[in-house]
Amino acid sequence: MAAAMVLLPGEEIPTDRLPKPKKGKLTLGPGLQHTPPSIISATTAGSLQVDHRKAALWLEHAGGRYQPSVGDLVIAQIHHSSVETFSCALTPHTSFAILGQLAFEGVSKKTRPQLKAGDVVYARVSRASKWEDVEIECFNSATGKAEGMGQLKGGMVFDVRPAFARRLMMGTDKEGVSKGGVVVLEEVGGKVKFEVAVGRNGKVWVDSGSVRETVMIGHLLRGADEGGWDVEGQRKAVKKALRDV
Amino acid sequence: MPHATRPSTNESNFLLSALRENLRLDSRALDQYRPISLQFPSDPDVHGQTDVRIGKTRVICNISCEVITPYPDRKFDGVFTINCELSPLMGAGVEVGRPDQTEALLSRILDKSIRRSNALDTESLCIIAGQKCFHVRADLHVLDDDGGIFDACCLALVAALQHFRRPDYEVHGEQVTVFDVREREPVRLTLQHHPFCVTTSYYDAGTIMVQDATLLEEQCREGETVVSMNRHGEVCQIAKYGGVPVDALSMLSVVNQSWEKVTMMDALVREALLKDEREKDKGGRMKAELSAENERVMERPVG
Repeated sequence: MAAAMVLLPGEEIPTDRLPKPKKGKLTLGPGLQHTPPSIISATTAGSLQVDHRKAALWLEHAGGRYQPSVGDLVIAQIHHSSVETFSCALTPHTSFAILGQLAFEGVSKKTRPQLKAGDVVYARVSRASKWEDVEIECFNSATGKAEGMGQLKGGMVFDVRPAFARRLMMGTDKEGVSKGGVVVLEEVGGKVKFEVAVGRNGKVWVDSGSVRETVMIGHLLRGADEGGWDVEGQRKAVKKALRDV
Repeated sequence: MPHATRPSTNESNFLLSALRENLRLDSRALDQYRPISLQFPSDPDVHGQTDVRIGKTRVICNISCEVITPYPDRKFDGVFTINCELSPLMGAGVEVGRPDQTEALLSRILDKSIRRSNALDTESLCIIAGQKCFHVRADLHVLDDDGGIFDACCLALVAALQHFRRPDYEVHGEQVTVFDVREREPVRLTLQHHPFCVTTSYYDAGTIMVQDATLLEEQCREGETVVSMNRHGEVCQIAKYGGVPVDALSMLSVVNQSWEKVTMMDALVREALLKDEREKDKGGRMKAELSAENERVMERPVG
């Protein structure tokens, strides 16, 4: 693949960079804008990523604030509750997201969850549009199963950059190599037992049962995020941290 | 719309249990400061600007001065004002034009520790009694708040006052000539001492003491004391906020610990100023020749 192309806001994408789909349809991801008939330009600064198989292209950029989109897994903090819903904060800069009191696994009107202000839930964005409140839910509304979502008890929530949270969630490819280039959690997981939940809104919840280990994991996450460690650097840092604990 | 965030119950509970084990989230010791960086403008003709960072907290201070008529009840004094308005730059939840508690506390602390402790000798700002004096104005901007803005603001202000040069002037009878920077080397302000603030936070009913708290630690604390003192150990003010009662004996140890930190800050500022001066001293020995600071002692005609 050719070297990644860096675009500035307003720059047009040259036609030879565009994928050539069989059906004649392109899929545009975040950071790109289509001006009919045939101009595709960047709306933010970032590097251009192209998936030829899916005829998709998007801009990868490091920073920025989190903007909710449907399907994102987020870590939300309950701000207040009303009759049928909880209002949850995703980031300080987005308006409150609505979480239905019945949007949990196995909940009826009589057994609704008792969440207080300040509690933290792992949830999925079920509706996100410019014009109305963001809605989140703690179960898969198609199957009714929690699928790991719900209230997060204990542990600690660490703030990372949204782009880093995305890298954490990219998973591994067939050979088991991390796509996002983050191996901190896997490396630590080989030695220490802990639970983790990554929210796309730039929050990572970690619970290992021991304060010292949780602090260490938070420290490693922050280091990998802000320090820009590569895979080898991350392995080294994890080894050192494990020795110290 | 941005809104102020309170830490979640998970975060505050975890923080407290970590502190009980003598642990901090950024693996510092309980009384350890984050790295402090102090920067001055690269332009050698600009004086009195500092950019202070304590960890992720960032404060900018700018000193300016102008000639005004002194207040009628204080004919022999110049005027020194400290201006600090918090803006939404420092974090979500701060609104423009709605003064909040932090802002009021910040200006009160700075007023008590720097202005009222006579760190800047206002009499030296007088040009002609009752007619002309300098008005020195310090503007503070908090660009990023990750806790410890009192300490950072005080440090920025004291460093900026030491870095600042006011224009030189000459008096002939009633006639005052204020010289431009290009005509005469500007003059340092007369500082009598250099006070610094050290904030200590209390947790667990006042039994755990933490210095240089981050924003999260600040939001979870039960009380705080702000001690301002100079490197000679002279305390300018002690303020205690928050409801938690604090043992009188532990106050003594807080003051002693603060003294250590103040010594560290003072050395840091002095070193940064020296380094800045050395870097900008392009004229070498000419600098001393150009300066008019000792003019009255030497009694040498200018020109």
